[in-house]
Amino acid sequence: MADNNKNPHDCPDTGHEWDGIRELTNPPPRWWTIALYLSGLLVLVYFILYPSLPLVTGNTKGVLGWTQINEYKEDMEKIEAKRAPFEDRIEAMSAAEVLEDDELLRYAVGSSKVLYGDNCAACHGVGGYPQPGSGYPILADDDWLYGGTVEKIIETLAKGRQGMMPAHAELLSEAEVDELVQFVVNNSNGEATEAQWKLYNEKGCVACHGADAKGIQQLGSANLADKVWRFSGEPDEIRHTILHGVNAANDPQTRIAVMPAWNEKLAVRLEAEEYGDDPEEYYEGDETERLSETEIKKLAIYVHQLGGGE
Amino acid sequence: MAKKSNKRISFQEWVEQNVWGLVLATALVVSVGGIVEIVPLFYLENTFEDDVYPEYEELQGVRPYTALELAGRDIYQREGCYLCHSQMVRPFRDEKDRYGHYSLAVESKYDHPFQWGSKRTGPDLARVGGKYSDAWHIQHLRDPRSVVPESVMPRYPWLDESTIDGEGMEKRLKAMKVLGVPYSDEEILGAAEAVEGKTEMQALVAYLQVLGTMIQFEPGRDYRE
Amino acid sequence: MQAKQQYNFEVVKWFAYMACVYLVAGTGMGVFIASQLAWPDLNFDNPYISFGRLRPLHTNTVIFAFGGSTLMATAFYVVQRTSGVRLWSDKLAWFTFWGWNLIILGAIITLPLGLTQSKEYAELEWPLDILIAVVWISYMFNFIMTLSVRKVSHIYVANWFFLAMMIMITYLHVVNSLSIPVSMWKSYSIFSGVQDAMIQWWWGHNAVGFFLTAGFLGIMYYFVPKQANRPVYSYRLSVIHFWALVFGYVWLGAHHLQYTALPDWTGSLGAAISLAMIIPSWGGALNGMFTLSGAWDKLRTDYILRFLIVSLAFYAMSTFEGPVMASKTVNALSHYTDWTIGHVHSGALGWVAMVSVGALYHMVERMWGTTMYSVKLVNLHFWMATIGTAIYITAMWVSGIMQGLMWRAYDEYGNLAYTFVESVAQMHPYYAMRAIGGLIFFLGAVIMLFNVTVTIRRAIAKPSAEMATAANI
Repeated sequence: MADNNKNPHDCPDTGHEWDGIRELTNPPPRWWTIALYLSGLLVLVYFILYPSLPLVTGNTKGVLGWTQINEYKEDMEKIEAKRAPFEDRIEAMSAAEVLEDDELLRYAVGSSKVLYGDNCAACHGVGGYPQPGSGYPILADDDWLYGGTVEKIIETLAKGRQGMMPAHAELLSEAEVDELVQFVVNNSNGEATEAQWKLYNEKGCVACHGADAKGIQQLGSANLADKVWRFSGEPDEIRHTILHGVNAANDPQTRIAVMPAWNEKLAVRLEAEEYGDDPEEYYEGDETERLSETEIKKLAIYVHQLGGGE
Repeated sequence: MAKKSNKRISFQEWVEQNVWGLVLATALVVSVGGIVEIVPLFYLENTFEDDVYPEYEELQGVRPYTALELAGRDIYQREGCYLCHSQMVRPFRDEKDRYGHYSLAVESKYDHPFQWGSKRTGPDLARVGGKYSDAWHIQHLRDPRSVVPESVMPRYPWLDESTIDGEGMEKRLKAMKVLGVPYSDEEILGAAEAVEGKTEMQALVAYLQVLGTMIQFEPGRDYRE
Repeated sequence: MQAKQQYNFEVVKWFAYMACVYLVAGTGMGVFIASQLAWPDLNFDNPYISFGRLRPLHTNTVIFAFGGSTLMATAFYVVQRTSGVRLWSDKLAWFTFWGWNLIILGAIITLPLGLTQSKEYAELEWPLDILIAVVWISYMFNFIMTLSVRKVSHIYVANWFFLAMMIMITYLHVVNSLSIPVSMWKSYSIFSGVQDAMIQWWWGHNAVGFFLTAGFLGIMYYFVPKQANRPVYSYRLSVIHFWALVFGYVWLGAHHLQYTALPDWTGSLGAAISLAMIIPSWGGALNGMFTLSGAWDKLRTDYILRFLIVSLAFYAMSTFEGPVMASKTVNALSHYTDWTIGHVHSGALGWVAMVSVGALYHMVERMWGTTMYSVKLVNLHFWMATIGTAIYITAMWVSGIMQGLMWRAYDEYGNLAYTFVESVAQMHPYYAMRAIGGLIFFLGAVIMLFNVTVTIRRAIAKPSAEMATAANI
């Protein structure tokens, strides 16, 4: 088909032809050529300004003295300066004092959303409500295994929790297990019988769960007198808990209930202070600190305020 | 067309008429960039932080993966976890807040191949070790949405169904040693026993739990310039 | 009297047809995995079709099965026609064909089984790596030898680009795939950590730069002037941008590693030279576009030309976007987000796929001596490809930039504003939109396969005089 349109770039070709294809001798567009040179200049300028060229030892540093890490440190300074007005005050105060200060309290709660969401919500759920069936404690209620004061929550966060309930499969007869399941079910309604209480005491449940079966916070044992369940209130599930315990070594069917430690160093210090000792004597030097003390303080306040902080 | 005396054009003329010349010229030209960017990483001391700061003892904490952890890493690769999860904390303030200390080159020096990743459909995992309990990881891998309802991660129930091949692990540690990963003879000989009866799930969790834990960072210290 | 020599178009026909098949397979797989991100139940709790195992199969199918078959079809087609000689070795060409398809079959089997080296676009395990090297060298050698027995004095520019692609891919593949086997289907990379990262992205970016760019610029340099029946605008431009590209592209790999544990100096090389690559890349786009000068009205009726020219527009856009994303500042936002995926697909769908499709339609018409069975379907395909691509990349631009901004957002007190999982939740509508864009693109590919199949069947049933002459020199 004849090509009737005149090429505005009418220009001789190079004299070669390949399968009917010719190439014209137009120069590249002027702006393109200029831009090409400018690109080369850009590269040169970049190399002068920034660390760029590997040498025999080391590399060129660039006249700006820029490094990723310097940029990072500058940004960190800026953000820390921005946070300082509130964060410094929180750092200097105890959690209890923050609870008393309206403005700081609102800040602590409001600024912990992402801290909680990125660290705690995976287990404990958004707003302290874990996914149904996932088996993690609800933080938005007033039922506390270890205690719901803000100091206790700090301790829980710092050292983590790994409560232990022995597996009772070898220790109880089937009939006794049945009866104890009944006790727990009834007691949650306040309707446990005398016989059931007797069994509860004789078999040693009282040792961990307390004379009133309301749990002993120093041990983190569950309150068996309410309707808030650490695992499940279904009779079969209660049976499983009694038979296999919680975090019981040597029972592959034991219930797992592990909360990681978020600041082992803080945990060690709190423990030392409890005994009036110098924490330096306790440190082993390999304590992890995933969250800072102030972050833990804020989180504890956040959790405390989610619902039933004591 | 007027003959140009420009040297470049005559070289161009030459290669256009000489295919092996074109091959050679091209091969030389394309080699430059790769050599300049890759080779210095092997001899420049400032590539690895433990070479720059030999006095920082914590940097010596980087160790080879145990047999179980390596088995877990192989599963991580097999399932393509690196396609959605990165393992590289950048020196940005928001990454410091969310993930922890920026990643050092020395931390991945035994990773054959590297697992820095290129996408965060899910969060970065460089420092996920110790953040969640083993039980949470198992739950999450079996059914991510059972603990994170917004997740788009697939479920991995089949990880519970297979165990790790002990003999295979011994071979793998040996291969790593050939590549320069300093496994001791005991570790190699003990590899099969170390993974005896362990499921793929357990191996993967072991791997996840070690990530980012090898260096005990000193606060206030700069590890890179 | 000179004996009439015939070009070997048989092997080209087979490669071309397989390219059409693999486009459907590869984009179909893409739609499936995109849907898995939007609706994770589509993983069906099945290891063999889980996202993590299928994503490498998708990338390998679209890049190497589709892209590779297209490159092999077109390189063999172009080198013969522009050299005035038949392929140097028919046997070697068939070896390349069957070898390449055997590799693809190997990928289809091994990747869902989880047999992977887990390096992007280089996942296939070591036995397949060796096969790739052998087959690739057979392809390259045949190509070079055909050029060496050419009947024209000068080598046409399209062939320089094909050649550069072949040489560089050999280097890249051999070095990046170096590994120590521990069993038949398991190996470990000999490189580790930061060094492995640099080598991987030297490979990864140059797979894009040479396989997907230089090779397809070779395609552009033949098929645009041929389809438009116009001379190439500027020989000089082609020389300059060729050397600038093949020298410069190589350095770009480091831009995949900005702000990582890669040293500052390497990242700078990647960023600076990436920015300097805009102009050389645009050289190709300009040369192609200006070839149509004075003949833009052809686009009104020539739908094959539409594919070729629009692909150049996407090419120009992607080769601007890429360098911008390679700069440290922009990369700080874009790295790890969907924006990278959007960028990849504007290049892959907008440039690579569309220029391939134009070339494939052109070759089908020439080699079977016919016109497409349905010109209307070619046009429909064009619109579906363009619209599908536009929807895809728009979805990813929005989601990617949103992700990047959410991750780094601080409130007025200097605390993080969003949890990571909040950013995940925000992604869903864009994941769905992207799957739809991809679906439209995929359906266009299906239409193409149908159209091409019917065209070929009719041409074989009633061979025309044109088909006979097409194969003659």
